[in-house]
Amino acid sequence: MTHQPVLSIQNLHVEYTARRGKVKAVRDVSFDVFPGETVAVIGESGCGKTTLALALVRLLARSAKITGGKVLFQGGKYSAPIDVLRLNRRQLRAFRWRNCAMVFQSALNALNPVLKVSAQVQDTARAHGEHDAKQIEERALWLFQQVRLDPRRVYDAYPHELSGGMRQRVLLALGLLLDPQVVILDEPTTALDVLTQRTIIEVLKRLREEMGFALIFISHDLSMAAELAHRIVTMYAGNIVEIGQVNEVFYQPKHPYTLGLMRAVPNLSGQRTDLISIHGSPPDLIDPPHGCAFAPRCAYVQPICHQQAPPLEMRATDHASACHFWDQLPILREMPALQPKAID
Amino acid sequence: MDASLSTASSDASAPTLRSRLARFFKSYLVRSLLQALFTVWLVLTVTFVLIRLMPGNPVEVFVDRLVSDQGITREEALAQAAAMFSVDFNAPIHEQYLQYLGNLVRGDLGVSISSTNTPVIEIIARFLPWTLFSVGLGLLISFILGLLIGMLMAYWRNSIFDVAVSTLASFLSSIPNYLLPIILIYLIGVQWKLLPVARMRGTYDPRLTPGFSIEFIASVLLYAMLPVLTYVLSQVGHWALSMKNSTLSVMGEEYVNAAHARGLPQRRILVAYVGRNASLPLFTQLALSVGAVVGGAIIIELFFLYQGIGVRLFEAIGARDYPLMQGIFLMITLSTVLANLLADLLYSQLDPRVRLGTGK
Repeated sequence: MTHQPVLSIQNLHVEYTARRGKVKAVRDVSFDVFPGETVAVIGESGCGKTTLALALVRLLARSAKITGGKVLFQGGKYSAPIDVLRLNRRQLRAFRWRNCAMVFQSALNALNPVLKVSAQVQDTARAHGEHDAKQIEERALWLFQQVRLDPRRVYDAYPHELSGGMRQRVLLALGLLLDPQVVILDEPTTALDVLTQRTIIEVLKRLREEMGFALIFISHDLSMAAELAHRIVTMYAGNIVEIGQVNEVFYQPKHPYTLGLMRAVPNLSGQRTDLISIHGSPPDLIDPPHGCAFAPRCAYVQPICHQQAPPLEMRATDHASACHFWDQLPILREMPALQPKAID
Repeated sequence: MDASLSTASSDASAPTLRSRLARFFKSYLVRSLLQALFTVWLVLTVTFVLIRLMPGNPVEVFVDRLVSDQGITREEALAQAAAMFSVDFNAPIHEQYLQYLGNLVRGDLGVSISSTNTPVIEIIARFLPWTLFSVGLGLLISFILGLLIGMLMAYWRNSIFDVAVSTLASFLSSIPNYLLPIILIYLIGVQWKLLPVARMRGTYDPRLTPGFSIEFIASVLLYAMLPVLTYVLSQVGHWALSMKNSTLSVMGEEYVNAAHARGLPQRRILVAYVGRNASLPLFTQLALSVGAVVGGAIIIELFFLYQGIGVRLFEAIGARDYPLMQGIFLMITLSTVLANLLADLLYSQLDPRVRLGTGK
């Protein structure tokens, strides 16, 4: 594993302009993604996951503004880190997809209905200076094969002739067309049935080993995160509240919010535990509460939590959490004697 | 798993005559054509029934008028009417119907009453092209202009351009359609004296002989300028506002965002991703407007004394010239059906989702 991150997000802030004021959707988010690594960003709806992902490729809605921070990218033709937020239009256009591909949440509508898949594949390649249509076609057919689609049929089809799961896989294949260094998947399996989800997870596992791209995926599907990710980032109210190796975070969460998320999903393999949902709802991001943003919903809240926001600090090896009482949380499950997942 | 699905058409390895016929009738083009033919036949039949079978029908009225005006017998009047409508009124109704259809197929629409003994088809052939030319040109210009302006308004939403054009567009479309020609004649002809409006009657300078000379074509364009301008001014706002709304909703679509994410050039996104999808609903509207081209320009033609079919229809109604009216109405029907057919076919080329049953 190289020690230069392919993507380094530093103190990123994003605000939306709403009628009532500024919605601080992403607040001071920093984390690194290393080549070949898979990072899962988890959290409930509205916690800023998607905004974060969109900010990384600067595809935010007009009402949103990146108010601070850096997104450093190093890889591909960039041997030294460049700040994605400072690229000009032409550079940004080249950066998107060639270096960092983002596969969207709603695969159903992410393809232009009036153009054939083949045209959209060629469009994408041509936009990045690949003019050899034959070679692009071969590459696309190979990728379609990899994501277990019938290559010829899909290549010549219109989007409406494909099922939702097929379109999702087309997008995935399209995302890998230019061999990017980073792939961002926003809720890649949310709209899919369990079997298709399974296929996508398998395909992702295999392709990331073969192609070596770093994967950032945004999800509230914890089981998928557990299966695919090397590291977990938990977001709450626009902040990162916990970040660490997947086993660490899943077995010994050091933030009550992550703990709550874990307890809210059934554990199929283990013993029967009571499911506990986190009561209440996320705070108002226009006027975030003083102190810890999670305090109003926290089961372990103490007076200090309402006054002082806990910093995100290292609590164990490669495991940071933003909680005053991180060492007093119950251990969710005994950590099995597993080696931490190696990045290959 | 759906990856193993084969294409549906692969089993048609040995096409029989029957399967070929079936595919023929399933094809979009053939279905649309048959539908259009059926519509035309239906309208023809209804017209026939209305004119012949209603009590106090136009033929009876015409015959009665001949009898009282010219003092001829009912028999003679009926014979005269038969010559004019090209149908023998003494024959049984089903024979009349067949005669009527037969005449239509041969292009015999009867003889005009008001302009004596001129076949209706000749009048239509002389005046209809001018209407098709002027209104068609106006429609084309207003549609294309509206599409472009609408898209720009959507891209520069809330800019000065957007606000100014929106205001102007709603102002122009709220002017009653008889006021616009008056305003134009006043401003261009009287106030600014840009065109010799008073001398401009008809469709081209009468001193010129029709032909492919530059002078003649220039004169045709000059004489059509005001009618076309009026038409464009009254329609372009509507197109622009429709296109703006359509573009705005398409710009919010996920595939446009995804196209940006793929790093496509702005121009490609605007044309193939936004423009093409946004203009789809407008083509349906265009078909309806094309259908109204023949009948829709009466007021404009009257004001500018532009010798098109609209003026003839207006006169035919005033003079109770039933054969001519019937002929013009037939043209309106035909153009509407034809326009819808064309729009259907065009739409199926633009939007693959409506190309159902074409096998692919």
